[in-house]
Amino acid sequence: MEIPYIVTPRKDTGLFNSKIAIWLFLASEVMLFGGFFSAYVYLRLGAQEDYPWPERALPIIPGLINTFVLIFSSMTVVFAWASLKLRKWRSFQVCMSITIACAGIFMALKSIEYWVKFHHQALRLMDYSVVEGHAGQLLKAGVKEGEKEDDYVHDRKGNRIDVNTINFETEEITFNTVRENYSDWLKEMLHEASEAKATISLAAPVKVGLASDPDHAQVIFNTGEMLTQAVIDKIHKAQLDAGAFNAALRTADSREQWAKAIENHKGQKDYQFAETVGADTASIDAKKHIENQTVTFKVHPAVEFHFESHDTKATATDATLRDGTTLKGKLVESPVEFHAVDALDFRHTVMKAKEKGIDPEVAIKNSWLIKSNPEIAEVWEKHEKAVHQLEDQFEKEGKGREPTPKDRYRINWEEMAYLMQTPLDKVQIVPAEWACPVIHDKTLVEQFKGPDYKVRHTQFPHLEVPREHVLFASKFTPSWNTFYAIYFTMTGLHGLHVIGGALVLGYYLFFGRKMYLSNPEWLANRVEIGGLFWHFVDLVWIFLFPILYLM
Amino acid sequence: MADSPEAIKKSIKLYVFIGAFLFFGTIMTYLVATVPALDFGKHGFDTADMVLGLSIATIKASLVAMIFMHLNHEKSMIYWLFGAGLFFGVAMAALIFLTDGDPLHYSGFDKGVYIKGNPVHQTVNP
Repeated sequence: MEIPYIVTPRKDTGLFNSKIAIWLFLASEVMLFGGFFSAYVYLRLGAQEDYPWPERALPIIPGLINTFVLIFSSMTVVFAWASLKLRKWRSFQVCMSITIACAGIFMALKSIEYWVKFHHQALRLMDYSVVEGHAGQLLKAGVKEGEKEDDYVHDRKGNRIDVNTINFETEEITFNTVRENYSDWLKEMLHEASEAKATISLAAPVKVGLASDPDHAQVIFNTGEMLTQAVIDKIHKAQLDAGAFNAALRTADSREQWAKAIENHKGQKDYQFAETVGADTASIDAKKHIENQTVTFKVHPAVEFHFESHDTKATATDATLRDGTTLKGKLVESPVEFHAVDALDFRHTVMKAKEKGIDPEVAIKNSWLIKSNPEIAEVWEKHEKAVHQLEDQFEKEGKGREPTPKDRYRINWEEMAYLMQTPLDKVQIVPAEWACPVIHDKTLVEQFKGPDYKVRHTQFPHLEVPREHVLFASKFTPSWNTFYAIYFTMTGLHGLHVIGGALVLGYYLFFGRKMYLSNPEWLANRVEIGGLFWHFVDLVWIFLFPILYLM
Repeated sequence: MADSPEAIKKSIKLYVFIGAFLFFGTIMTYLVATVPALDFGKHGFDTADMVLGLSIATIKASLVAMIFMHLNHEKSMIYWLFGAGLFFGVAMAALIFLTDGDPLHYSGFDKGVYIKGNPVHQTVNP
């Protein structure tokens, strides 16, 4: 059956059908993105009283290049359509290939942006000051052969550990036997235990059989059995079998009790005698099987395990992992180590201080960062000098301008690098730029990936933040703050649209030849429809770029 | 008809011109946001910057819609469809912002006590 009106327009609408369909779809997309843009505006306006909205938090150059790339691809997709209308196949191929290549460039730049954010550490301290930078645990005593003393701790896969970890010296581990997602942690624990020449073995025998006669139950693992994935899997299976058996017992008993109750209360509705229906617990207890809902292993000697902070909650003697596994032992000092602090932000501290009627400058001077870290205090003193110079500059201009809270209370990485290299008496802003001098050796790669920490390791202070001062730690992910949540949501959704659009356009490019030879006008119409979607994607980015990157 | 080969050949020049204008508009958006000499209103981001930035974005989006998406010479049905989408989008945004004027008021949220055993579970102020 031939699809009607793929080329010939309908008499009532004057259009071929797919054009109406795509505009209907675009109307729904306007609703979709309109909802997210509204959410952004609402969140931003609503945040102002209790949370400093991150302005200009994103590097502009990648977003700017992406804008150019998408605008250019919008042009090439319409050229591709025009080529088909003019029956120029080769020209269509070239233009469509460029469009898809632009989509690839867009997604590559976006991926780099996301990757950089996911590897950048941020901390909010108890006094609401914010530290940003690159985390990494420096090697301490016990440097291995081949490693330098200022190298970083690596995990067993050879990756540098740049997450902040909770270090827990573990004597006992209790697993929940109902869950089965242990393999990665188990491997890590077994590896670290073998490195420390420790053993992880069962604390008590694991039995299956009648719960009423434990002495004659079958022992599937004895005390001292070494922990392996196979042991956990077998205990897990035994627990599931016992649990299912006991559940079936209770169900059968419940059916029996209800049947008896219905027999004894003929003529009555079930809710009238429901309270009288019980369970024959004695009978169930006599038949039920042993359930091992948890299983405990001893670690001897105690081993210091490292868990990511979002995977665990720990007190001085107990820790609970995200999957319910509990540990007993001792919480070891677990500071968050920054080998490079590239930004400081006291805006939230200032907001909280103003709420309490405290002078912001006093609040900052009394913050842990300034009081306990001379290097940071020195940088802050230089920054204050730069802010005073900015105030003087605005006063000279006489237009009533003054430094913004971001100027006063935030140091970004370029300013940090400048201040670390410049003595206090030489600090001088560039009057026309209203800012510290631009770092002249900033490379194009740094525009995308942020500072090169290897080259600039003397330009950023080191900092060790004790765990008790940490209010919240996160990489720059949706969980860090509301801005990043909405940023990743909107750009992620937009990126998915770019991928979808590229796939459709790619289909026309690689599989359109046959249709071009049989019905070129139909292919031209399909490319026009795909192009309309592509223009819409570009349209959304035209708004996303200034809103997220420039405002 | 705008889709005849002759009309399309003429349109290609227009597409190039509009594309160049879009590039120019993007550069202007960037400069207005970053160059101190083009910082209108108060120092830093303020209403003037927002209005200017979004105005340039709206002009660019309108050009993409009118020229690249052919909305300047489409049939009326398309205008109805797109207009309906815009209308409902704006209406949805308005509803979201109107909730600010109609917040939930319930003094019991932070004082409510759960009463066990009541057939109808409720929170009451102690």
